[in-house]
Amino acid sequence: MRSPDGPRAADLPETEASLLARAQAGDVAAFERLSSAYADRLFMLLLRLLGDRAEAEDVAQEVMLRAWRGITRFRGQSSYFTWLYRIAVNEANRALEKRARRPAGVTLGPDELQLPAPAALDPSRQAENSELRRALGRALADLPPPLRTALVLRDVEGLSTQEAAEIAGVGEAAFKSRLHQARLRVRAAIGDEALASTGG
Amino acid sequence: MRVPGRTDDHEWSQQHLSHYVEGDLIPRARRRLDRHARDCADCARGIRAMRALVYAARRLGGPVGVRAPETIFDRVRSAGAG
Repeated sequence: MRSPDGPRAADLPETEASLLARAQAGDVAAFERLSSAYADRLFMLLLRLLGDRAEAEDVAQEVMLRAWRGITRFRGQSSYFTWLYRIAVNEANRALEKRARRPAGVTLGPDELQLPAPAALDPSRQAENSELRRALGRALADLPPPLRTALVLRDVEGLSTQEAAEIAGVGEAAFKSRLHQARLRVRAAIGDEALASTGG
Repeated sequence: MRVPGRTDDHEWSQQHLSHYVEGDLIPRARRRLDRHARDCADCARGIRAMRALVYAARRLGGPVGVRAPETIFDRVRSAGAG
């Protein structure tokens, strides 16, 4: 399945292809224009993986810096979006490893992973879903990072298994194994009754 | 209610609910879970819960009101100017 976020480099629209070429030639402004199309979504991904706004802001800057430094190595085997997202997942994992080495008391709290509501929902619908969002946030916070990444990429972001596995840096079979484990754990944490109330 | 003598099917089904809703089971395995869930309220509820979980997670995606910080390119600019 093709990514909804961008074709592969060979099919890039002229504007994106030319921005990429200029960025690879060292044009910072072109790099910013190219990457800013994905900046909001990338930041949202980092918020979901890290659960902390300040840390997500710091990591987002680092992601863009690494992408800028590595842009000449981007050969278009994947979409630019996939490439950027993979850097983001790697940086998020690096930040989570650092966090795990810190002294106790600064680990991720469940409330920090409360997921923002989709903007399109009306206020009553947002209120109706807030408890489930909190429960999902708590369950996500308790997942080991590889399982959390799998669930966020496939279920929350809605990426195809192929693309999500590529971003996570594992084969499809390993990715699916992580996804299934993550879902079983989240289901157990939230409970069937709460899930049934979603009407899904 | 569990069917006597089908404990293996029950444990196996509980472990494969996500595979089932993802469409990852081969036809014979899917039929096995379907057959078991017809007689097992736990697993029938499990299928509904797993579908609801995927549905709820996907509703969290899509357009959100969160914007990337304006500082997101600061380090790139510093590096580019250096």
